[in-house]
Amino acid sequence: MTASASEHVTPLLDAYRKHPDRAAFDELVTPDGVRQQAAALAEAVEALGPAGLLVARAEVSRQVAADGISAADSAARRLPWLVDPLPVPLPGAEWSALEVALDQRARLLDLVLVDLYSERRLLRRGIIPPGVVLSHPDFARVATGCFGGRGRQLRLTATDLGRGPDGSWLAISDRTQAPAGAAYAMATRRIVAKALAGLHRDSDLARLRNYFLTVTGSLLAAAPSDTETPRVVIHSPGADSPYSFDQGFLATLLGFPLAEADDLVLSGGRVWLRAGDELEPIDVILRRVDDALADPLEYRSDSEVGLPGLVEATRRGTVTVANPVGSAILDNPALAPHLAAVCREVLGEELHLAAPQTWWAGDPTQAQHLLTHLQRLVIKPVARGREPVRYGWLLSSAERDQLAARIGSEPWAWCGQEPLELSTAPVVTSAGLEPRRFVLRTFGVATDDGYQFLPGGLGRVAGSTAEFTVSSGAGALAKDVWIPATAPRSASVIARPRLSVARPSVVTPRVAGTLMTIGRLAERAESTARLIKVADDLTEDFGSHAGSAGAEAVHALLRAVTGITGAVPRPEETNLAYLARVTGDANEPGGVHHSVRRLIAEAREVRDILSVDSWSVFNRLERTLSTDPLRGAGLQQQLADVLESLLAFSGIMAQSMVRDSSWGFLEAGGRLERAAHTVKLLRFALLSQAEDRLRPSAELAAEAVLRAGESIITHRRRAASGTGPATVTESVRQLLIHDHANPRSVANQVVSLSEALRLIGDDRLADQAAAVAAEVDAFAATGIDDGAEQLAVLSQALAGLAERIAVRHFSRQTTRRGVEATGLEAR
Amino acid sequence: MSPARRYRIHHVTRYSYDQQMEACYNRAVLRPRATAHQQVVSATVTLSPEPELVSEHLDYFGNHSLYLETRTAATELEVVAEHVVVVDRPRPVAADLNSWTVAQAVAWAREQADPLELVDFGLPSPLVEITGEVRRFAGTAFGPETALGDALTGLLATIGAELRYAQGSTSVKTTLSQLLELRQGVCQDFAHLAAGCLRSAGLPTRYVSGYLETIPAPGAVKLRGADATHAWVSVLTPQGWVDLDPTNDQFVGSAHIVTAWGRDFSDVSPLRGVVLTEAAESALHVAVDVESEVTD
Repeated sequence: MTASASEHVTPLLDAYRKHPDRAAFDELVTPDGVRQQAAALAEAVEALGPAGLLVARAEVSRQVAADGISAADSAARRLPWLVDPLPVPLPGAEWSALEVALDQRARLLDLVLVDLYSERRLLRRGIIPPGVVLSHPDFARVATGCFGGRGRQLRLTATDLGRGPDGSWLAISDRTQAPAGAAYAMATRRIVAKALAGLHRDSDLARLRNYFLTVTGSLLAAAPSDTETPRVVIHSPGADSPYSFDQGFLATLLGFPLAEADDLVLSGGRVWLRAGDELEPIDVILRRVDDALADPLEYRSDSEVGLPGLVEATRRGTVTVANPVGSAILDNPALAPHLAAVCREVLGEELHLAAPQTWWAGDPTQAQHLLTHLQRLVIKPVARGREPVRYGWLLSSAERDQLAARIGSEPWAWCGQEPLELSTAPVVTSAGLEPRRFVLRTFGVATDDGYQFLPGGLGRVAGSTAEFTVSSGAGALAKDVWIPATAPRSASVIARPRLSVARPSVVTPRVAGTLMTIGRLAERAESTARLIKVADDLTEDFGSHAGSAGAEAVHALLRAVTGITGAVPRPEETNLAYLARVTGDANEPGGVHHSVRRLIAEAREVRDILSVDSWSVFNRLERTLSTDPLRGAGLQQQLADVLESLLAFSGIMAQSMVRDSSWGFLEAGGRLERAAHTVKLLRFALLSQAEDRLRPSAELAAEAVLRAGESIITHRRRAASGTGPATVTESVRQLLIHDHANPRSVANQVVSLSEALRLIGDDRLADQAAAVAAEVDAFAATGIDDGAEQLAVLSQALAGLAERIAVRHFSRQTTRRGVEATGLEAR
Repeated sequence: MSPARRYRIHHVTRYSYDQQMEACYNRAVLRPRATAHQQVVSATVTLSPEPELVSEHLDYFGNHSLYLETRTAATELEVVAEHVVVVDRPRPVAADLNSWTVAQAVAWAREQADPLELVDFGLPSPLVEITGEVRRFAGTAFGPETALGDALTGLLATIGAELRYAQGSTSVKTTLSQLLELRQGVCQDFAHLAAGCLRSAGLPTRYVSGYLETIPAPGAVKLRGADATHAWVSVLTPQGWVDLDPTNDQFVGSAHIVTAWGRDFSDVSPLRGVVLTEAAESALHVAVDVESEVTD
């Protein structure tokens, strides 16, 4: 199985092979060569050399940042997803065998799940000791009797595999309640394929896309009724949850929207999606909210991410939840020792995939073994997430005694597992290749006749050579896992998606509000950047000539910056320092960086709707704004870069979004913001000049305002051809307020706003916007002297429209409160 | 032998808010279950305002569990349960249970009990932790060699002597450690402690929710917990399930009407819900009337 590497000079691999931390089984090298399936990779590694590998590593990090891929170890901390550029190739035959073993395991776990929540024959007959299940905190008694749906109940599975010293795979644990990571695997593949483009092109790999198509088909097929067009949502705990990237990207891969608690409603024992004033029935929920938080009526009443009545809707069969509430019981190491017997019993087969030998302390004999060998076992609580896993050999004797006492007092809650000496895989570091412990998470989805698996899955390696295990959140790196195209089972078993009739997309109040905010913030960042750029330019030209017309114009522009952003210049602060601060200080509300940060945060909420290209623009924006303009290329250049990125963002949005109500809300936000900004610009920069519009400073200020409003060229062209006023002071109101043809004018914004509202389907507000547009036209006929009053009225009208849009379309659900009544408490 | 009794139960629960509630989802375990000693003649649960959906199933423990969904805006939600139940439960005699020691009863349960019930009612549950304090408390009342009837009588007496009945000091989330610290509580706390002690000894024990008849006989002490929902325990013995009321230091006869049982209060909470409201103030009113007549 090893290819001879003797004819080549292989310094990197030779050094790696001799590394003291390399495990008995390594995924790349053998004691005297490289693994056959990794021959091309080994060649590529030597060809790249240490420098080339580091370039690939840098390229990978750059791409992770550009795609906005984040991993979070808590709601508060958002970390970049770490990827090693070197893939882990597996032989085709090995993967084919794993698929068979994983398919058996999934079919088995599915039958166990159904039995545990219906007849519990396996417990009654003692094939699984009742205590293994009934004492487990994740056994959901409230969910018993809910499973009578079509097809398999365990629709999605994930299993963490590790390879022992002899090269055989063992199941370390199963993730069954809300399996996460398949979309991370796809993201990782895309990045590695770019970083090692040549090798990737020359390797005929099994593609990942097919798996996601099967998931889509499988979920559609899971709909409880024979509806022609089942509606599927991904129930997400929100953008702050640790796996929000995975959820958002999964949504785009599957083509189903993300829905949070506020988007969903239980009515008449059914789940509905709030769609404006309407409710859309939901047939299938891909659940990414943990069991304990899924239904505040049945579980924790303080859950804000769950849906009261969800379990009842499942019981009534009006909705299929994948995976059903209660699935967490399968993620239970105490089941491991019994699966072989269960497999013989329910499938009549020998179990293919073994697990590290496990002892459950709930059984007195096994407890005895566990306590005797505490020092060399991995001690796992049966329920995930409540207690850390402990490694006997790392505990002090006092800690061991303490643990033994705990196990003695609650034996059913503990397991001991034989430690698994995991295989290693190489990771690119500045000190060359380093061996790290490797685990593989596989992903499966139920089809008509078994399970289909993501070819390979998501590989993870430990954060350092010192780590014995691979845990997420401890700096672990992702590994792309390569499977030959011929290895995965034929696609004939794919559940075909039902042909579904296209239907209009549904925008829930939460999403509508977020989209409008995104529209507003993108426009706010852009128009503020534009204004600061002109103000900075004017400062450069005239700032030093105190008392001159130029200085007065500078003053007018700075007044507009202050008025619009609310950022007040500090004493002793130079104009340049002030403008740089309003641009780059992310803590300055109303400033450019602040708006961009908020924009990115809002975008995370609707990751499933935005084009993936948005993220590289956001990444560029964040980088541009984090540099100090006073040291680097200067504020003008920084603002030019910011504007370029923001224009790219609006271009992406304009070119990627269908003109439906989603677009309508985004567009309404942009138009409202630009109109409001322009009105403010005129009010703050020009009004004080109204009494003396013929002074040279007024001329300069008006010209600057036209430049900030991107309309100076139009002015000049029209003045030159005699089709517009000759002076900027005459032009400025005409162009920036009244001219319908100017895409920067207030009139143009309000008309577009009216059209956007019509797209949303709100004719009443569209008519109101049209009425505002008519008022703007009427202002054109009036004299210049009451300009201030006109602008104030216009400003109010715009604010009024924004408020009415919010009231009519963004209403959140009422606060939920859990209540519990006993007769005793009341007395 | 206590004679069979026929009860008419009227149980009203009312939530009031200072602002409208938009919707309300409730789970009610209010309909009494039929048992070997209890016949349910009629049992109705009605809601006001009119619910959008009422749906009933038998839960994991075989109790009647109702899902009630109200989507009419209102400031008040009233749940009225009206039941007619005939109870004919001979009061267990402690001496009859003295044929076994506690250890023998435990051994019997390990051999003979339903293996699932043995675990469900034998292990700790969310509100019945079995801590060292609970074991010590049980140890003051009985040991493995104590005769079973004496052990049960002793446990009732110990709880009665050590705990004061006091409303308002505990809640539906009070743990046994907190209770043993406070040394006072209401019937569900007494029941949780009794269950903890019996389970710590290895005897499977259920938590039972229900009602208790008021005994207005002249000169008699009015039983605590009367005219309210009540809770007690049921322990598995070689003679079957034996019900004990630790709040009133007695074995249970025909004065107790069973609604439901589970591992602890959290399995059989009579009425829990999620209410959608911006209200800051809420009030809960519960009224229970139990009328009885002797039948033949």
